[in-house]
Amino acid sequence: MIDVIEYTKLYGDTVAVRSLSFRVAPGDVLGLVGPNGAGKTTTLRALAGILQPTSGSIRIADIDLHTDPVAAKSRLAFIPDEPQLFDYLTVTEHLQFVARLYGVQDAAPRIPVLLEELELTAKKDALPTELSRGMKQKLAIACGLLHRPSALLLDEPLTGLDPVGIRRMKETIAARAREGAAVILSSHLLHLVEELCTRLLVIRQGQAVALGTIAEIVEARPELAGRSLEEMFIALTGDDAVS
Amino acid sequence: MPQPPAPVPAMLFLYRRTAANRLRQQVARAKSPRYLAAVVMGMLYIWWALFRNAQLGSGPLAKLVETDIAVPIASAFLLLSAARWWLFGGERSALAFSQAEVQFLFPAPVSRRQLVHAKLMRMQLAILLNTLIFSVLLRGGGGSVEGWQRGLSLWMLFSTLALHRLGASIVHANAMEHVGTARRRLIVPLLVFGAVLAAVIFGVVTAWPLLRVASLSGVKAVLLAITDALRATVPAAALWPVRAVLEPVFLGGGTKWLAAMPWAVMILSLHYLWVVRLDKAFEEAALEATQHRAERQRRLRASQMGNSRSRKGKLATVPSLALTGRPEMAIAWKNVVAALRGGAWRTQLLTFTIGLAALAAVTRSASDRAGDVFMGVTFAWGAMLLFIGPLWMRFDLRLDLPRLAMLKTMPLPGWRIVAAEIAAVTALHSITVWSLMVVPLVMFLQEPALLAESGATIPIIVSVAVGVPIFNALMFTIQNGTALLFPAWVRLGTEARGFETMGQNLLTTGATTLVAAVALVFPVGLGALILWITNDWGGWSVLVATIMASAVVMAELWPLLLWLGGVFEKIDVSEVAAST
Repeated sequence: MIDVIEYTKLYGDTVAVRSLSFRVAPGDVLGLVGPNGAGKTTTLRALAGILQPTSGSIRIADIDLHTDPVAAKSRLAFIPDEPQLFDYLTVTEHLQFVARLYGVQDAAPRIPVLLEELELTAKKDALPTELSRGMKQKLAIACGLLHRPSALLLDEPLTGLDPVGIRRMKETIAARAREGAAVILSSHLLHLVEELCTRLLVIRQGQAVALGTIAEIVEARPELAGRSLEEMFIALTGDDAVS
Repeated sequence: MPQPPAPVPAMLFLYRRTAANRLRQQVARAKSPRYLAAVVMGMLYIWWALFRNAQLGSGPLAKLVETDIAVPIASAFLLLSAARWWLFGGERSALAFSQAEVQFLFPAPVSRRQLVHAKLMRMQLAILLNTLIFSVLLRGGGGSVEGWQRGLSLWMLFSTLALHRLGASIVHANAMEHVGTARRRLIVPLLVFGAVLAAVIFGVVTAWPLLRVASLSGVKAVLLAITDALRATVPAAALWPVRAVLEPVFLGGGTKWLAAMPWAVMILSLHYLWVVRLDKAFEEAALEATQHRAERQRRLRASQMGNSRSRKGKLATVPSLALTGRPEMAIAWKNVVAALRGGAWRTQLLTFTIGLAALAAVTRSASDRAGDVFMGVTFAWGAMLLFIGPLWMRFDLRLDLPRLAMLKTMPLPGWRIVAAEIAAVTALHSITVWSLMVVPLVMFLQEPALLAESGATIPIIVSVAVGVPIFNALMFTIQNGTALLFPAWVRLGTEARGFETMGQNLLTTGATTLVAAVALVFPVGLGALILWITNDWGGWSVLVATIMASAVVMAELWPLLLWLGGVFEKIDVSEVAAST
């Protein structure tokens, strides 16, 4: 469960995100979409405990991220758009590192399973410098999944993946949601969002302009009826959009 | 009518605006009270470091230029540096451009010669800054040399050295990339350099008996003997070109300076003409160096230096990490792996220790005096290592700062992350310093009688062994704390090297030492008090004093770590991202 209540982030006088409130239930996949600079990454980073909110509160699995950050962080996983890996640890060692860091009790049997699931077994002794962009992305995702997070935050998770990799990754994300994780996925690939996400949060200039299932959004904005998701996105986030 | 391409004004605009925007960014940063306080402290420190002898009318290094040994020793040192550039390829970074410069300048209608000039222009910024710093440090020394004369001499010296390094790098890089003509081009300079080096070595070898005698009278006598050896006809003739650019800096008196200047101008001009004529080789070498630098920077951000795999493709073996237990151990383990794989720490340590042991055995066998001198040198090196090591060894938060966003998602309180980052590097550096103990150990094994007659040596050695990790913890905490408090000023790479940046490095090291000195006031005071009360300055009271002083340092470090943990939790990732 992810609860965001009146989250606001200011950089000096600049508003990055203003009064954002939403909830992602276990099993839900929320698609976070918006134009460049809308505040998507800022929102995800706040949810991951990387950025301190200016005001508002964030709860991960009913734990307040501000008052008990360690407990909250132990329940979430954040996979950034640019994989952040240690160049001197092999693929397997990355997972061992994460296992120790998060106190994963059954890491020994889980690591080979995850490597297999993400097609990394053949590369288990490789260093990140020896991996392709897509492989690095898979490793970052494997690290995020090892401790079975209750909240999974993915920023452009399919960047650099080949078509087969994209398919496997979609299955992996859907499987985690089925297992009860609350998932937030930020992406510009609207067909992916449409296919994977149960609900959408559209933000523009740091403010929510639409939240809900596509049907709920259309119900609230009848003029969007019959349009494709791409047309809806442009209508909601374009210069002539009315918030 | 289209305007003709104007690369030179464009490049001047690029460098002018870059400098101005960087300055504006730094000024904007100073709006934060933390940075403002640091800027004020920094200004005060620079004033203290550069102008503290103002009342005496001379700079802190002024006396250096008045000594007889300065020019010959500096000439030999510069010759050795230049020999390194020729033999081992120098620093490729001397050739490199930034990625943006490559993207915009190389496909643009800019001639190769203009590219060389762009590089020379860019080098001038660091050269001018160092000229300024050294002009102040050396002011007043050397008799009646005017400030502008010393400044001009220093500028010519630094410019000649930078041109020489650039030229050597171009020729070497070109020879490495190509066979045939390019490789043959390296032979002539190598032969010339080989002859010059041989002449200098010949001078030293000829004077060997005198050097041996001088070694019995201490370091100063040895330096004077080396100076005399370098003044002999053959080595003096070989060192003439180096001395020609050095002498104007050191010469007192207007006439002498005027007489020396034409030679220095000639050497500088010849260097300029040589580098400009290398324009064809420059373009390719610069591109290759830029690519190499980008790769090195990427590795530096991840693992500080070097390749993780050996030439045979093997990874260095590392201690395995238990999958359960205290989570911060994972962070410390990761840093140890970085040192073993990225920095080849184990190999360096082994080589270093074996070398020291061999030297200890050889010097003690030669004579007691030589053994004592080597022991003294080892202690001095150890003391220096304690201060310089934390600047060199960066397998800690400084290495991980570019991944701050990832660190902040770790389910640990900030202070535990900071402590784990510092702990591993402290342990590794302590082992490095402890390895120096091999010198007394070998000497005691050679002559067990020394152990009984050692007097204060054993208590002092044990005390040093106890104090080293605590002192290292303090130094690494200062370094990591600086990185956390001022992430925008942290340098992750070591790109700014060479003579151009010597002055800045001197100031940075001094500032760190100053902070450490303040932190050590109470611990050292307590230790001294214990020794004064017991009146046992060479016995086991030294160990008691060290333990008590170490306890005070730990008591200082504990709240400091908690506070830095809070800083870590509050630090904005964008502040770090802007600096990396």
